[in-house]
This record gives sequence, structure tokens and C-alpha cells, in this order.
Amino acid sequence: MFFGLFRRKKKKEGSRKDAKDRLQAIVSGRRHSVPVREVISHEVVGTPDKDMLGQIKRYVAQRFKVEEENVRVQLEEHNGYVVIITNVVFH
Amino acid sequence: MAKIYVVTSGKGGVGKTTITANIGCALASFGEKVCLIDADVGLKNLDIAMGLENRVVHTILDVVNGKVSPKEALVRHKQFKELHLLAASQIATKEMLSPEDMKRITSELYNDFDFIIVDSPAGIERGFRNAIAPAERALVITTPELPAITDADRVIGLLDNAGISEENVRLIINRFKARMVKRGDMLTTEDIKENLAVDLMGIIPDSEDIIVSSNRGIPVILNGNKGRNSVGRVFENIASRLRGEMLSIDKDFETTPNKGFLELIKRIFGRN
Repeated sequence: MFFGLFRRKKKKEGSRKDAKDRLQAIVSGRRHSVPVREVISHEVVGTPDKDMLGQIKRYVAQRFKVEEENVRVQLEEHNGYVVIITNVVFH
Repeated sequence: MAKIYVVTSGKGGVGKTTITANIGCALASFGEKVCLIDADVGLKNLDIAMGLENRVVHTILDVVNGKVSPKEALVRHKQFKELHLLAASQIATKEMLSPEDMKRITSELYNDFDFIIVDSPAGIERGFRNAIAPAERALVITTPELPAITDADRVIGLLDNAGISEENVRLIINRFKARMVKRGDMLTTEDIKENLAVDLMGIIPDSEDIIVSSNRGIPVILNGNKGRNSVGRVFENIASRLRGEMLSIDKDFETTPNKGFLELIKRIFGRN
């Protein structure tokens, strides 16, 4: 037991790499979304996406009784899906 | 005219309140006029972290209810005459305060201070929305562990949605253990920065001095920690950066917490 004090521990591989890989996997799929135009052609999304976003804005503003400038609509691509994200500010 | 910061994190227990108190003191030690606002209504800790719990007469709720003006509710710090606190109320809920209330309160204090720093509660619900409402910039606090970092990432996204874009967000890494990084058992500052994609404002080492000063209700820079290698120096570095000084982040690594004799022996014999 006494001599155990002087024995060097076998060097284990640190856990940093695991943490880094896991962090990358979690974060990359979450916040850093890709603008939809970078991955899907205009023909697929529909060229008049400005018009589409405007219509969604108008509808949401009317539905929730808020000003149109309080509605933000974004198109994003997540894992092969086109996702329409609508943020409504109620104050 | 004040620069308005919110100190936030998403995850609880990462050190928001302690950091808010210490940054406030460090800024005041440079002669800045500072107002700290505790937005953690219902729990309130900032007055305790600053050792001002016995001086609080009015709270933010009294201001919201029109009993007193924001200036009348401020508590002045014992040592730093230019440091003020607007305390939260314990007998209230976060719903009793609105983002508009926060905007109104800060707008009334705007011309009297150089810095207004809002200490946000943990979470991303009403309390968080109240805290970020008046802020133009944010300090996001994380520790070098995955749950805290991923919550920080979520918060950065929410701040962006609320109009505080990434260029106005800075990251503070708290409880950083250089020895664990050296051993390969902790994420490096680069790993964290790379994944969160925001610039660093400071790296605070894991230090017992912070717990000791917190026990005494004395911010760490006032508790005999102003030396060259002390943790108080990091808060001064952060304050300098907030004032616009171009101070390298490497300066924060110049502080090394004291190691005990046993720790030293363990290291020599490779038991650590």
C-alpha cells in the first residue's frame, strides 16, 4: 500500500475528446441552421418565397392580434426538411 | 448614458450572480458608475452576494407598483459609492414583472450610470425574458461542462431572436480548471468558443477564494484577492474589457489558484 503511492498511474486517455465530439453533435444540429436557399433550389421552395413569408406574417399577425413587425418568419433546412419558424413578440 | 448588459446562462448554478457582483465591484473600482439589477424575482441572491441584504428597503416590485422611483429603490454599496443595487423581491413571482417594466426601469436609470448590469434568473422563461428585455448586450456564463455549454448555446440563439445578435454577446467561462485541461479531461477554451461561436470576455479559474468571499458577503476583489495572481485580477480584466480596453484573454491564465502541499505531493508521484 505504501509503495502504491510511488507507482505511477497508467495514463488513461482524457475525456476531453468525448466531450468535444458530443458537444459538436449537439450544437451543430441546433443553432447553426442553414438558410434554405443554400440547400434547396428556388424551383422546389417556390420562387415567390418573399410573398409566402409575407402571407404567413399577415396571417399570424391577424390571428394573434399583434403588429406585423412583431412577427418574424424564417425558412430553414433541418435534416432534409424545410422548416418554417415563426416568432411572435406579444408585447 | 449607460451600456446595458444582461448576465445570463440558461443553466442554473454556473455563477451568474457571483460574477455580476464581482464585475460590478471591479467596474466601480475603476470609477465607473454602476447599477446592478437583480431580475431573479422570487429568489433574489444578488444582495446577498454583495453583502447588502440588510440594507435593502425597497425592491424592484415596489418600483413596478409605483411606490418608489427606481432611483429611490437603489441601495448604495458600502465601499464603492458609485456602485448601486436594485434588489429583487422575495415575496413575488416573475410574472409580477414584465419586460416593459424592465425597459421602463432601466430607461429611468439610463442617464445616471455608465453601466447597468441585469442579473438574469436561470431558465429561459418569463424571468429570462424580463432580464433580456432592456439589454443591448449580453454576457453568457458557462462552466466547461456539456449541460452548461449546450444551455448557453440555446440562450445565445434566444438572445439572437430577441434582437441581441452574436456580435453583442460575449462568453465568460467560469470554474475553469487548467490542470484538468492539461490532463485532457476538460474542454479547452478553444473547444467551447469554437462551438458557441461567440467571443470570450473572460476565463475565471475554479477558486476557493470565490466561495470564501461569498461566505463573507464580500466580493472577491475586496476580500484580499487583488494581487497579481489572484482570482480578483480576472474580474478586473473583465471590467477592463467591458470598458473597451483590448486586453488579451491570456491575461486571465496568469492567475493560478494556490495548491495545497498534499496536491503537490500527489502530482509529483503521479497520483493525480
